[in-house]
Amino acid sequence: MSRLFRYLLLSLSAALILVPFYWMINTSLKTNAEILRIPPTLFPTEFRFQNFADAIVKAPILAYLFNTVVVALCVVTISTVVSVLAAFAFARLNFRGKPFLFIVILGTMMVPQEMLIITNFMTIANLGWMNTWQALIAPYCINAFNIYLLRQTFKQVPDELYLASKVDGVSNFCFLRKIMLPLSKSTIVTVMILSVVWIWDTYAWPSLVTTNDSMRLVSNGLQNAFTSDSGRIQYEIQMAASTLVILPLVFLFLMLKKNIISGMVKGGIKG
Amino acid sequence: MLKPKRTSRKVRYDNSAYFYLLPALLLLAVFIVYPITNTLITSFKGEYRFLTGDFEGYSWQNYIEIIKDPIFRRAIMNTLFIAFVCIPASMAIALFLSLILNSVQKWQGFFMTLFYLPQVTNVIAAGIVFAFMFNTNFGVINMILGWFGIEPVAWISGQGIASSPELYHQAYARCLFIVFVYTVWQGLSLKIILFLSGLQNINKQYYQAAKVDGTSFWRTIRKITLPLLSPTTLYVFITSVITAFKAYAQVIALFGKQYGPAGDGSKMMITIVGYMMDSMGDYLSPGSISKASSAAMILVVMVMIVTAVQIKISKKWVHYN
Repeated sequence: MSRLFRYLLLSLSAALILVPFYWMINTSLKTNAEILRIPPTLFPTEFRFQNFADAIVKAPILAYLFNTVVVALCVVTISTVVSVLAAFAFARLNFRGKPFLFIVILGTMMVPQEMLIITNFMTIANLGWMNTWQALIAPYCINAFNIYLLRQTFKQVPDELYLASKVDGVSNFCFLRKIMLPLSKSTIVTVMILSVVWIWDTYAWPSLVTTNDSMRLVSNGLQNAFTSDSGRIQYEIQMAASTLVILPLVFLFLMLKKNIISGMVKGGIKG
Repeated sequence: MLKPKRTSRKVRYDNSAYFYLLPALLLLAVFIVYPITNTLITSFKGEYRFLTGDFEGYSWQNYIEIIKDPIFRRAIMNTLFIAFVCIPASMAIALFLSLILNSVQKWQGFFMTLFYLPQVTNVIAAGIVFAFMFNTNFGVINMILGWFGIEPVAWISGQGIASSPELYHQAYARCLFIVFVYTVWQGLSLKIILFLSGLQNINKQYYQAAKVDGTSFWRTIRKITLPLLSPTTLYVFITSVITAFKAYAQVIALFGKQYGPAGDGSKMMITIVGYMMDSMGDYLSPGSISKASSAAMILVVMVMIVTAVQIKISKKWVHYN
């Protein structure tokens, strides 16, 4: 295959992959009248940025984005702390029942998240947590894969460092904070990003535990905002809202490409 | 008299470990271990009532009921379609693109960035965009078809499907096609990432040897690259199939909560998780949570079967470097 042909194929595939992005942004900038034109126009004749303002206020996408950011921040903070502590114990400390507990953690990784939803819903309902922040946050705070990934990283820190710090009388916690964490920074960042992507994409759980419109996350808000309308769907605002939901992730990705890709290679995005 | 000193060192347990483990173990117990056992038990409870906790004995009744339910059978078929039709197609395209991408030097990073973009979207937002792309009058798909003189297709249309089985099947085929396109697009990124990292792990010496022998591009791929890539291929296949078993949000985004075109009462495009979620949504009526639980258990068994097959195959067929 000639080099030119290869680049031609790559460009064509890239163009096809980008069609949905193009169509979304193209539509989000059109006026209502232009949307209704048949056949549709390839490029907006007149840019209408008002669509974004409408999506923010009407949908209301801004409120959903805010909720999602709050939940994502809480989940990332709590689950990272929980995972780091547990991973440290598994990587460095000796305790009774260690192999057994580690196998339990690995075993839970095989169980589909969707299966847990049923009983977790009953737990949340029994606690009276429907439509609360806790309901949206708590079940995401434990992630067996993150514990596993961090444990593997911590294991690579040489034993000598630990033993030397013991000789110097450094406590376990101090060792974790001063030595382990700085050395494992890139994995920790990866774990945090994967959690954000996970929350951004999550749909099933929040749709069960939130019935109030004010507690919805982006996915749920987006799904309900335009499809339940009895009248005509306002496609241009729908696409503007989708753009607002997708763009933050794209920016996050472009900024932190390396970490995201290494996370994907190590264990894939949680589905 | 002094005791003799012990020469062998006993393993010293560090009890502070439990403090580090406590938060994780608590959350694990409440939100993962308990749900696994409880869902298993609930799936066998007859006429389980959520509010009072009453139920009538344990039996296979829930399983029998959902397997008899035509909607659940449709859910199984649709889920298997995504797993075993869409995923292999997506893998073939991803593998092809990765091979080309791996063989060029200039612009590789640029193309990689573009190919990764579908991964960092939101499943609902992307689904809504696809639904609009397939819109009969205003969608880009019909516009492009129009360039080739093809009449607009009513992609997501339920016209006449209630009375005519033939029209129903046509509408179903069109919806399957939309799911196919969306699933292939959505899954490409992760597969390309994994294939590329697999390709870059192949020892360069094999290629140098092939070059010395004057082996052609395609023959090198067939005889060297593909066999050495087989661990990656198996891993990608298994993880993608497991993800596909859990398909739900994308069909909601594409077709709405009725899982089909307007006017369809049969939940045409429902998936296993969709069936589970619908039963959950109806949690106050007796037995519906147990029905959801047995659907979830069927999903778990499917995942376990695929995992077992993976272990079996990887021992027999896969070439490791």
